[in-house]
Order: sequence, then C-alpha cells, then structure tokens
Amino acid sequence: FRFKDSLAQDLRRADLVISHAGAGSCLETLEEGKPLIVVINEKLMDNHQLELAKQLHRDGHVLCCNCSTLVETLRSMDLSTLKPFPPGQPEKFALFLDKVVGFQ
Amino acid sequence: TGGHTTEILRLLSRLSESYSPRHYILADSDEMSEAKIRSFEQKRAETFSNSQFTLDRIPRSREVRQSWSSSVVTTLYSMLYSLPLTYKLKPDLILCNGPGTCVPVCISALLLGLLGIKRAIIVYVESICRVETLSLSGKILYYFSDYFIVQWPGLKEKYPKSVYLGRIV
Repeated sequence: FRFKDSLAQDLRRADLVISHAGAGSCLETLEEGKPLIVVINEKLMDNHQLELAKQLHRDGHVLCCNCSTLVETLRSMDLSTLKPFPPGQPEKFALFLDKVVGFQ
Repeated sequence: TGGHTTEILRLLSRLSESYSPRHYILADSDEMSEAKIRSFEQKRAETFSNSQFTLDRIPRSREVRQSWSSSVVTTLYSMLYSLPLTYKLKPDLILCNGPGTCVPVCISALLLGLLGIKRAIIVYVESICRVETLSLSGKILYYFSDYFIVQWPGLKEKYPKSVYLGRIV
C-alpha cells in the first residue's frame, strides 16, 4: 500500500516490523510491543533523525542494519535479545507542572 | 505538526482540569493536527464536563531545513499574527515542544511580559526524538523559557539548566 491514515491495525497483527528510522514509526512499533528492525539509510536522513534509532539500539530495544545487511540480519537475528520498551510517564510531567504553576 | 502534536497531546493527557481553557496554536499549513486535537478534546469532554478549548492558526514560521536567514524573515512575518493572538489570549502558561510555530508565539509572550501587559510562564519540552542535540527551536528557547525539559540524560548533561524527568511521552 502507499499511504494510509493509520498503520495501527497492521501493526497489531504483525509479528515483526522492519522500518526506516523515523521516530514516529519506531515509537509506535515499540509501544505495541512488536520486535523492530530499523533500516538505516544515512544518505537519506538527517543526522538528528538517526539519534533516536541509535539510542534505541544502544538500549537494546531494536535491531539495526542498513539496506545491504538486511537479509543477513533477518537470517541471523535473535529477537529474544530485544528488551521491552517501557511507556513514557506523562504523569511525571503533570506533577512537575502542578508544582511550577502552584497547583499543589 | 504531526509528531509534535502527538507528543504534546500525550503531555496534556495527565493534566488536571485546572489547566483550562486550552488554546491551541497551529501552523496554517498543518492539516492533520486539527483532527488529532479535536479527537483528544472530545474524549476529554466526556470526562470533564466544563472542558474548554480554542484553536487558532498562524503562518508557518519555518519549513524543514529552511536557511537560518530566511527563517528570521518568515518568523517575523508569523509574529504579525502571533502577537495580536497572544495579546488576545493573554495566557498564564505556554506549553510548547519544538515546532517552528512555537518561536513566534513565545517571543510574542516575552514581549507582552516586557511591556508589563501579561507575564506567561513558558515551559518547553524538547521532543523525545532529540537524544543528543537540541532542535533549532530548543536552542533558542533554552535561553528564553522558564522551564526547559529534556527527555534524555545526555541532553541534561549538555544543557545543565534543563530539567530531566525521564521519558514523559
């Protein structure tokens, strides 16, 4: 398919996701608890867009490869090594903001 | 825009109803964000009966990768809209998370504060995508915001005046 409004349904049914390093794609996938392989194409992407993918890789949440190593990665991957991605905590922000503005 | 909107709605998701009415300011070229915001506010209205919000648009102040010098011009143009809008809204608190749209709004708020018309607290939350470097909006507002929140410890080290609460979106 070309463009869909939301990939949420497809995401829920997937067993493995292979994606570019876009932050939205990575985070949505990890939040659904799906294993993720991030394919990095340094020529196309800004350095800053890679920051998140690299960090997620360092923290063990995703596998990384580039276009030429994708097949090899798929052959040799061990998805059990991937660590679960805990959700963010907006309640911490709410607590902080309450203090800042004086709603205690 | 897009990812920024999703993030900011998550930030809002745990705020009490004391943070009301909410005034959303979008770039005029942004199509998807309005739908996301209305959906969020609709759900909110189901829980909190007096929930109020407004939505306004200002010209987009910067395209992705637009040059620094032309960005100054387009930002000044956006301020022709953001200044009267901010004056009308007179916010107590401004919450932003990085799209170019936030710069003219925050500068307008700072001006209103300097002129003694209304002093707003400016809280900036850098996007979760920013792990090692700040966005351009972040680099500017690091000096002009009251509270500057980052979501990765590496940024807290580089920018000591920032606040680190962990991942909050």
